[in-house]
Amino acid sequence: MEEGPEPNLPTKTLGLNADLQKKHQAMLDRLSNRHQARLDNSLARRSDSGNSSESTSSFLSRFSDSKQSIDSQLADSRLIAQSDPSRLKSHFANLSSSISDLEILVAENSYFLPSYEVRSSLKTISDLKQNLETLNSELIPKKKFSFKNKATTKKEPIKEPEPLKYDTVSLSNFKMPDSPGFRNKTNETLVKKFKGTDIGEFTLSDLDSCEVRLTGCCNAVFMNRLKNCKVYLGPVIGSILIEEVEGCVFVLASHQIRIHLAKKCDFYLRVRSRPIIEDSNVVRFAPYCLDYEGIEMDLQKAGLSEETGNWANVDDFKWLRAVQSPNWCVLPENERVGKVRVEDFESRIEGS
Amino acid sequence: MGLLSIIRKIKRKEKEMRILMVGLDNSGKTTIVLKINGEDTSVISPTLGFNIKTITYQKYTLNIWDVGGQRTIRSYWRNYFEQTDGLVWVVDSSDLRRLDDCKMELDNLLKEERLSGASLLILANKQDIKGALTPAEIAKVLNLEAMDKTRHWKIVGCSAYTGEGLLEGFDWLVQDVASRIYMLD
Repeated sequence: MEEGPEPNLPTKTLGLNADLQKKHQAMLDRLSNRHQARLDNSLARRSDSGNSSESTSSFLSRFSDSKQSIDSQLADSRLIAQSDPSRLKSHFANLSSSISDLEILVAENSYFLPSYEVRSSLKTISDLKQNLETLNSELIPKKKFSFKNKATTKKEPIKEPEPLKYDTVSLSNFKMPDSPGFRNKTNETLVKKFKGTDIGEFTLSDLDSCEVRLTGCCNAVFMNRLKNCKVYLGPVIGSILIEEVEGCVFVLASHQIRIHLAKKCDFYLRVRSRPIIEDSNVVRFAPYCLDYEGIEMDLQKAGLSEETGNWANVDDFKWLRAVQSPNWCVLPENERVGKVRVEDFESRIEGS
Repeated sequence: MGLLSIIRKIKRKEKEMRILMVGLDNSGKTTIVLKINGEDTSVISPTLGFNIKTITYQKYTLNIWDVGGQRTIRSYWRNYFEQTDGLVWVVDSSDLRRLDDCKMELDNLLKEERLSGASLLILANKQDIKGALTPAEIAKVLNLEAMDKTRHWKIVGCSAYTGEGLLEGFDWLVQDVASRIYMLD
C-alpha cells in the first residue's frame, strides 16, 4: 500500500454505482502498477544473475578491500594505545561498526554468492571480531567485578572493643595445671625414665648448661629456652616442639620434629617425617645415635626402629627455594659424637 | 540477593561444602584430615603450604582445605577464607604454653569479615595424651562464651591418633552448614 496517492475517497454526493465503479478502477490501476513494478524488478535481477560471476568477483574485491582496511586499523590500535589511550574506545567502536557493515554486505549478497564464498567470508568476519575482542580486552583493562562491602568500615568501631574485652579476661583468671617436666635449672644432670603408658607430654624449659636424659617412650615433648644443654631422648610417639634454643646438642627420635628459633645447635635425629626449622640458623643435622638398655623395644613401640634418612631432609620455612638453605647443613662425619650410651641411673640404683 | 540464590542453587545441586582447617603448627590438622579419610597417619610431615582433600561425607562432598600452621605461613591463611562454609580450629590440648598464642590467632581469625558466616568447630585435639586439657578447660581458656552471639560454634574433644571424637565434630559441622545453605533437606 506504500505506492501512489490513493484516489480520492468517494463522497456521499456520488451515487452508489459510480462510487463502486471508481473504486474498481482504482484497484485495477494499483494492480497493474504493482505488476509492472514486479516485472521491472525481476528483469533487473535476472540481468544481475546473468553475470553472477562478475558480481561475485566485485563482491569479493569489495569485501577484501574493507577487510584490509579493518586489518590495518586493528594493527593501528597498539600504536594508539601507546600514544593516546583515550582515543582507543572510539577507535574500537569505529572498528566494530565497520565489521558489522562488512557483515551486512555479506548478508545482502549472500543470495547469489556460492556457498563456499559465504562460509569463508563469514569465517573472516568472525576472525576479525575475535581479533577486535582480544585487542579490546588487552588494551583496555576491564574493571574487575567485585562485591564491595560498604558496611565494613561502619562495623569496625562497633567490633573493636570486643576483642579488647576478652583479651583482658584471657588467661589471667585461668590457672594452668602443672605439667610434668624440668624447669628453671642450671648446671644439673636431669634424668627421667618413662615407664609403661603413664606418661603423656613432658616439658623442658628454661634450662642452662644442663644434661637431660629421658629414656623410655612418651607421647609429646616440648622444649623451650634451653642454653648450652645436652638433651638425650628416647623415642617420642607423637611430636617434639622446640623453641628458642642456643648452643645445644639434641639426640632425638620422633614422629615429627619442629624446630623454631634455634641457634648454633646440633641435632642427631631419627624422624618418620621431614623435620622442619623456622627462624633458625647455624643448625646442623646428623643421624640418631642414642643407646640405652631396651632402646630397641622402645624404638619399635614408637614405630622408629628403621632409619628413614629423614634427618637430612630438613624443610626450612624461612627458605622456600630449590637451592640449599644457608641456615642448616649436614654435620660432617668427623665432627659427630658417635654412639651415645646413656646409663639407666634409676634402674642401676634399684638393682644395686 | 539474586546472585546469592543462584550460588545457593548450584551448591545445592552438587551438595558441596568448603571446609577450612586452621590452627597453630603441631596441632594435628593434617593428621585429622587423613584420619577422617581413613588414610595412613604414621608418616606426616609438617605442612609446607596446604593440602586439599575431597571427601564424601554422608550425602555431601566436603572440600577440605588443610593449611599449614607454622608461624611463617600463617599470614597466608587469609588467601583461603573466601567461600568458606565451615571453619575448623584445631587446638593441641597438651601444649599449655602456647595456648595464649592459640587464643590470639583464633581471635584474629574471627574478626575476619569473610569468615563471619562460617560455622566454627573447635577440635580440642590430642585428648589421648595424658595431661591434656579437657574441652571445657580449652573453652574457658579461649573464652569461647564471649564470642559473637551470631556465630554457630561447638567445641569437641578428639584424638587424631585414636580417631575418637572426630566424627562427632564433623557430624555437627556438616549438619550445621547443611541447615544453613541447604535449608534442611
